[in-house]
Amino acid sequence: MAWETPHHLPSRPGTQRPPRQQRGTTPQNVGRYPRFDVLSPEVVCEWDEPTRRVVLDRLHQSQGFRYFSEAELPCLRAFCDVLLAQSREPRVPVPEMLDAKYADGKLDGFRYASMPHDGEAWHAALKGLDFTARARYGRTFAEADEEGRKAIIRDLQQGNLQGGPWDRLDRGRIFSVLTRGVVSEFYSHPWAWNEIGFGGPAYPRGFMRFGDLSTQEPFESSDAVGADPVREAESEGLP
Amino acid sequence: MIRNLLKGAQPVEENDSRWLLDPHRRGIPGLERMRRYDDDDEVDLCIVGAGAGGSVLAQRLARKGWRVVMLEAGPFWDPDRDWVSDEAGSHKLYWTAPRVIGGEDPVELGKNNSGRGVGGSMVHYAGYLPRFHPSDLRTETQDGVGRDWPIAYEDIRPHYERLERECPVAGQHWPWGHPHGYPHAPHPVSKQALLLWRGALHRGITMRVGPVGITNGAFGNRPHCIYRGLCLQGCKVNAKASPLVTHLPDAIDHGVEIRAGSMAYKLPIGGAGRLEGVDYIDGQGMRRRQKARVVAVAGYSIETPRLLLLSAQRGFQNGLCNNGDQVGRYVMVQGAPQVAGRFPEEIRMYKAPPPEVSSEQFYETDPSRDFARGFSIQTVSPLPITWAEHVLAEGHWGEALREYMRDYNHWAVIGILNELLPLPENRVTLAEDRDEQGLPVARMDYTQCDNDRRNIAYSIGVATDIWKAAGAQDMLTISRYAHLIGGCRMGFSPDDSVCDENQRSWAIPNLFLADGSVCPTQGSANPALTIMALASRLAAHLASRVAW
Repeated sequence: MAWETPHHLPSRPGTQRPPRQQRGTTPQNVGRYPRFDVLSPEVVCEWDEPTRRVVLDRLHQSQGFRYFSEAELPCLRAFCDVLLAQSREPRVPVPEMLDAKYADGKLDGFRYASMPHDGEAWHAALKGLDFTARARYGRTFAEADEEGRKAIIRDLQQGNLQGGPWDRLDRGRIFSVLTRGVVSEFYSHPWAWNEIGFGGPAYPRGFMRFGDLSTQEPFESSDAVGADPVREAESEGLP
Repeated sequence: MIRNLLKGAQPVEENDSRWLLDPHRRGIPGLERMRRYDDDDEVDLCIVGAGAGGSVLAQRLARKGWRVVMLEAGPFWDPDRDWVSDEAGSHKLYWTAPRVIGGEDPVELGKNNSGRGVGGSMVHYAGYLPRFHPSDLRTETQDGVGRDWPIAYEDIRPHYERLERECPVAGQHWPWGHPHGYPHAPHPVSKQALLLWRGALHRGITMRVGPVGITNGAFGNRPHCIYRGLCLQGCKVNAKASPLVTHLPDAIDHGVEIRAGSMAYKLPIGGAGRLEGVDYIDGQGMRRRQKARVVAVAGYSIETPRLLLLSAQRGFQNGLCNNGDQVGRYVMVQGAPQVAGRFPEEIRMYKAPPPEVSSEQFYETDPSRDFARGFSIQTVSPLPITWAEHVLAEGHWGEALREYMRDYNHWAVIGILNELLPLPENRVTLAEDRDEQGLPVARMDYTQCDNDRRNIAYSIGVATDIWKAAGAQDMLTISRYAHLIGGCRMGFSPDDSVCDENQRSWAIPNLFLADGSVCPTQGSANPALTIMALASRLAAHLASRVAW
């Protein structure tokens, strides 16, 4: 069965560099939809006012930190960058967005009985990342090399980190608590929508083309990697 | 019988909500003229919670001349001003005050399964409005699991039918459970629904379009759906049914007062073992008491038990109505695993409402399977943040996460709802943590039983099989939960339940429970319509007597 040996690109990360963005901005200027810009004036003018305000405010994230301390920032930035593969500018400012969330006391509506509140879990986890990096490499998490950081995150994911600050946290849950927060901020940003070709807000204009004849609204554009990545992978000689 | 022969939109009786709305604005018009009652004015009924249950109860009884006050902890929404066509910006629709989750399989709360504000969680539910099956009320007798209800399907059926006309529900003729038709025609469906349909067809699985509480064509002053796909962020169109558009305009027109920003914290007992009213904290932080002849609590499966537990007082040291140790027990969720399939062609699942097509073919117990009861199959269509959670759930981060995410437009998702069984140790209690008003917050403990695990595993296999048959190239599976229900169930005696067959608490003669917490089982249907129908039935019961 085809599904058992998928030939499409996502299951083979790294097999092809995504194209450069030609219009608008995407994180690191890569994207599958180089001609699509959800922030272009002819699209944004169709959004209702409260939505426009909420979405465009994300482009003007405050630079100051109120929740995380100066000392925590290098570790926070390094963690977010590795987790999201944001290796260069332009970056979605996820650390700033997380800081605003916790400084404003925005909660998700629950905490695990085995864990402190999310904000406190972040403080402890940042200490833990440095604790592990020092133990392994004799330097902070932010100072460790890329492979070292990835190795620590893999162990975090598998619940293998212990000792020091980690003992305050539930090893089985901490990875999901941290990563849920990080990806929620990243994929709320319109630059990330440009990268993945998401049409964004749709009110008062709704959607009209959802399948039979076309899947694209007039303001949407095609996937640059090819309508049929299976064939594309074959033609490029990928196994 | 005649009803099955009637085609087209059928008349809605005794509910003018659709005409009381403004075709060009979303909020309820004329709120400045809403009737107001003094705290000391003993009203006929005080309802805690303005969601699916509380709102229907208020509308029905206001029509019978009852003087009704509703207390709602959250805000009174004006969708034009307050709601956004955006995933992250919709967080205020959820109950995000602190809660603690425990047990071996903790249930994450917040955005997935809670509501706050006038309209309750129906403001951001997907829109599916299926009925329960007759068998759901007899699982103990028929399947040897769960608990029989003290009422029968026929007791609820007329209320289902009336609500389906009021919402209105759109969909194809429904062949499962008690077969029935729907007042509005099925909606056009998107590419991902067609793919699901194709796979199901190959596997001999019957699908139906709907049933959804979304107008197909104009309905009174409610516009038609514009297929923007952001149903879970609150319908800015007024096309999707929620109490804010289906029942509260008519309720307010008949003299109901909705007091938003009012958090009930205690139910005080006065003379003769009856409640005097409801103690609440108003929007200014003042502690007040609304006097009432009858009190109905409709705070849903976590806040209703919490309010009873917070109301411990003389004679009820362990919480009101809790001398039988039943409050908060048998709280349930549905298993809600999702299986995503990757297709060569572009799909763009964010278009059209997430609820499109569904099947209840696997709903009932099948002796050939190794578990009792079953599950339903539905389309869902996660927006980017929720989709990223799918990708993370399979362990992808870094470049792999980004690459999977760039492929978003090629994926379609099947959602499952598993009937998980009611268990006594799955329970809402009070935690040591306090909320900003200084009140202990709720703690919810949840652990699955073997039957639950087998049901979930089997259903994921079925969804995977459907995608294979549809030609999917790759799949991602995420395990999750949806829909709270139970926690203050109705039953046959004070030893096995919190309230009787008419949702009257065993302990207090003028206290009724009017939400999903009363359900002893949950089936694998989305619960909103059943919660509304039970409230409608409760209203008929309350209206049948002059004094309570």
